[in-house]
Amino acid sequence: MEQQDIILSVKDLNVKFNLRGKVLNAIRGVSLDVYKGESLCIVGESGCGKSVLNKNFIGLLDKNGWVDSGSIMYYGMEQPTDLAHMKKDKDWLKIRGEEICMILQDPMTSLNPLKTIGKQIAEAVELHQHLHGAALKQKVIQILADVGIPEPEKRYKQFPHEFSGGMRQRVVIAIAIACNPKILICDEPTTALDVTIQAQILDLIKELKVKYGLTIIFITHDLGVVANVADRIAVMYAGDIVEIGMVNEVFYDPKHPYTWALLSSLPQLGVKGQELYSIKGTPPNLFKKVEGDAFAPRNPQALKIDFVELPPYFEVTPTHKARTWLLDPRAPKVNPPEHFKNIRSIRKLRQQGGAANGQ
Amino acid sequence: MVKYMSKRLLRSLVTVFIIVSTVFILMRQLPLDGFLPNVDKMSQEQIKNSLALLGLDKPIHVQLGNFWKQLILHGDLGTSYVYRNNVATMKVLSTKIPLSVKLGTMAILLGLLLGLPLGILMAKHKNKFPDHLGTVFIVFIEAVPAAVYYLFIQLYGTELFGLSLLFREGDWRTWILPVFSLSLPDIIYFAMWIRRYTVDESTKDYVQLARIKGMSEQKILYRHVFRNAFVPMVQYLPSSFLNTVVGSIYIESLYAVPGMGGLLIDVVKKQDNNMVQAIVMLFSIVGIIGLVLGDLMMVLLDPRISFVTKGGRR
Amino acid sequence: MPLFKSPKLVKLEENMQDQLREHMTDEEAFSLAKFDEKEVERVGYSNYSYWRSTFQVFRKNKIASFLVYLVLAILLFTFVQPYLPNQRDPFIANNDTVSGKPLRNIQPGEKGFIFGTNSIGQDLWSRLWAATRTSLIIAISVAAIEALVGILAGVLWGYVKACDLIFTELYNILDNIPSSLVLILVSYMLTPGIGTIIFAMSITRWIGMARFIRNQIVIIRDREYNLASRCLGTGTFTIIFRNLLPYLVSVIMLRVALAIPEAIGSEVFITYIGLGLPATTPSLGNLINLGRQLMLSPNLRYQLIYPTVILSIVTIAFYVVGNAFSDAADPKNHR
Repeated sequence: MEQQDIILSVKDLNVKFNLRGKVLNAIRGVSLDVYKGESLCIVGESGCGKSVLNKNFIGLLDKNGWVDSGSIMYYGMEQPTDLAHMKKDKDWLKIRGEEICMILQDPMTSLNPLKTIGKQIAEAVELHQHLHGAALKQKVIQILADVGIPEPEKRYKQFPHEFSGGMRQRVVIAIAIACNPKILICDEPTTALDVTIQAQILDLIKELKVKYGLTIIFITHDLGVVANVADRIAVMYAGDIVEIGMVNEVFYDPKHPYTWALLSSLPQLGVKGQELYSIKGTPPNLFKKVEGDAFAPRNPQALKIDFVELPPYFEVTPTHKARTWLLDPRAPKVNPPEHFKNIRSIRKLRQQGGAANGQ
Repeated sequence: MVKYMSKRLLRSLVTVFIIVSTVFILMRQLPLDGFLPNVDKMSQEQIKNSLALLGLDKPIHVQLGNFWKQLILHGDLGTSYVYRNNVATMKVLSTKIPLSVKLGTMAILLGLLLGLPLGILMAKHKNKFPDHLGTVFIVFIEAVPAAVYYLFIQLYGTELFGLSLLFREGDWRTWILPVFSLSLPDIIYFAMWIRRYTVDESTKDYVQLARIKGMSEQKILYRHVFRNAFVPMVQYLPSSFLNTVVGSIYIESLYAVPGMGGLLIDVVKKQDNNMVQAIVMLFSIVGIIGLVLGDLMMVLLDPRISFVTKGGRR
Repeated sequence: MPLFKSPKLVKLEENMQDQLREHMTDEEAFSLAKFDEKEVERVGYSNYSYWRSTFQVFRKNKIASFLVYLVLAILLFTFVQPYLPNQRDPFIANNDTVSGKPLRNIQPGEKGFIFGTNSIGQDLWSRLWAATRTSLIIAISVAAIEALVGILAGVLWGYVKACDLIFTELYNILDNIPSSLVLILVSYMLTPGIGTIIFAMSITRWIGMARFIRNQIVIIRDREYNLASRCLGTGTFTIIFRNLLPYLVSVIMLRVALAIPEAIGSEVFITYIGLGLPATTPSLGNLINLGRQLMLSPNLRYQLIYPTVILSIVTIAFYVVGNAFSDAADPKNHR
């Protein structure tokens, strides 16, 4: 892909937090390019830094956090802008909603319980599409229909508590769409929903992406969702991206031991009667400086050098790279774990959509 | 909602009944001085007759029954024998109530007028100078007993502003100190709670979403945070009402206001049981009505409570 | 095997890392490392201790920390004062040694009276400390009774289902009755005295404490982390100690700390109405009430100022310390 197609480019980003007097290095030198019109999924365990990374894209990092170094170049506007160094609220108002919008995880708390949902969507439309009065109402009703809410005229006047969880998330999506952004960040939008509703919401997002020409960044820890929605996957661990590539490449030809471990943890790969695979240990303490590969202590296939020096990215294909010494020509040939052969059966996952517990 | 409110009302009525009856019964355990002003000068015979006249010789439950009958059918809260000679308590009260109501209402209005903006200012500048200043103010009024700062106000009010200590209904200048003193606890109360609610709301998820939408902080504050913070505030109006009622007991005697509060102190000093009984009952009823009203207002303002949602989902 | 690595060990390991890098050949570097499962399961961090964090946060609040010392100093002084040299008896009317006349309304500082004398000639300094003693004893007693009765009732209320209904109805009724009125009523009915005041104040306060305790017990008892503890087989005593108690303690401390200024306030209130302690017993309420009558004469004003200042300091101190401690005990503030 050519340079022009990149809409967001993160380079060597370091984000730190002040916690109880100590400094936590939450994002450790992340570099990531997002291409226009793609669906990029960022996967990782809880606490790996996925949400923190995305908060930087809309300037909503917690008060005790800051960007220590690196840049986030946004190419969606006339002038490329470095989001990492934007401090003023005034500047962020031009980005938030207008260019980049986000959907939060919990639809229950994302909506103001004391305002009608029509009003809440209208606020977004007013801000970004500059409509008023009757035209405004029309637009809102149209958006409601777009996200699949039946009887939009009636629903316009209703309050959030009159909607079910899935419907509420549709409303939240409606608000995001109403902003007319270029990039839509979905922070685990289906985690709080029933399994059956999950598929619907994911389909809706895919539909809207095509209809409105959005670029989507999806954050999730659910690989089933990834299989359903993603064009590309970035695997995050301990504040760093360890592997990134097209969906097929990462699923069928993963190279980083952490990706192996992650994929192995899928219950679908379990064999009846045997213990389910789980990754031993816990993620590292990011208050301390990490030497070498962060995953090394938990990696049965770790090389001695993994404990000592941070591996660079090795290219597997032009679109697939991973940060592991195993890809170095000097490394011994290491095979992915046994149970991995079953991963081909994961094809079913892609066909069935985001049902993480599907058969 | 109807079910909820009727349950609430019923409970309040029961509470009123219990309080009033308890006060009634308790009063009748007290020495007879409270009913017969000259009991130490009377002979046994005279006492017996007087008691019979007043209906005080009957068994307690009969007395109670009669009392309620009198109250509900005739609006008669008993008769004053010591404070006034044989005058219906209602009559005595009715001359005093209007003034106290005026005073109290003005105090609450002033409380809202000054308290709400103060609290909002404090929330807006959380942890900065206005917040700290306001906090000092609040701590002082909260911690130090009202009796004490009322005195300070009276002291410096007269010294610095030359305002009179004696209240006269016609002279508006004599209203200033009493109303202001009375409103202070309300100012603090409202400021404190609106600040807390405002701060609470600011951390809610939907405020975050509003930010993501691209709303300016100013707009968010007014359209989402304050609007939402005001709703639970409503339930504090009646409590402040009650506080004002109690506060008036002080203020009225400090400034010689001929209202209900001052009356209470007088009748306590004079030991008129029926008057004390009547005032205590009245205050309690007012308080309870206030609390029920507060609940009612909450129900009306919060759409979540008003509607019966499907399957009880909130 | 210890759960945490000591800093010395970590330093040693870091040094080893550096040495490794310099001396490893490519062949060595790219060989498989030994995978130690036990090593992996070692917990990385968290030397978090609830109480230590609580005190840390509290100490950061300079004002509250200062006031704690102030309060302790005042408390100490109040009870030690009579035993200091050259203290006068608060009840004796002092007469002029020469003329034999009572030394009325002496200005503070004159004739060896630190705070002056009142209209009968009693030493205001010793009277004030006696008054503070009385008021504090009342306040502390009320707080103690509220805590004891309230906690007991609250625990019963929370754990015994049968009690729940009775107590809840009782609470709903009592909550609606303004406490000042109960105070007035009780004081009106019983003989005014220290016992009466303590009794009257305790009646109105205990149920509030009980309700707090009961709510916490009900919430915490059924909260997931307690269920989890029970599933893991933790004993009931341990659950109470480590799960319930820390949160309860902060709530209890707050109520106890706030009970003090409120009790003092109630005492002043009831004295004002005429139902307080007998005028001969020195209490802050009495002193203030007497001083009030002298408010308008600038040179007698000191009889009002000194009691009110001491009262203000005490009440503000307890209020601030109570709130600060409660804030510090909230784990959300342990950042």
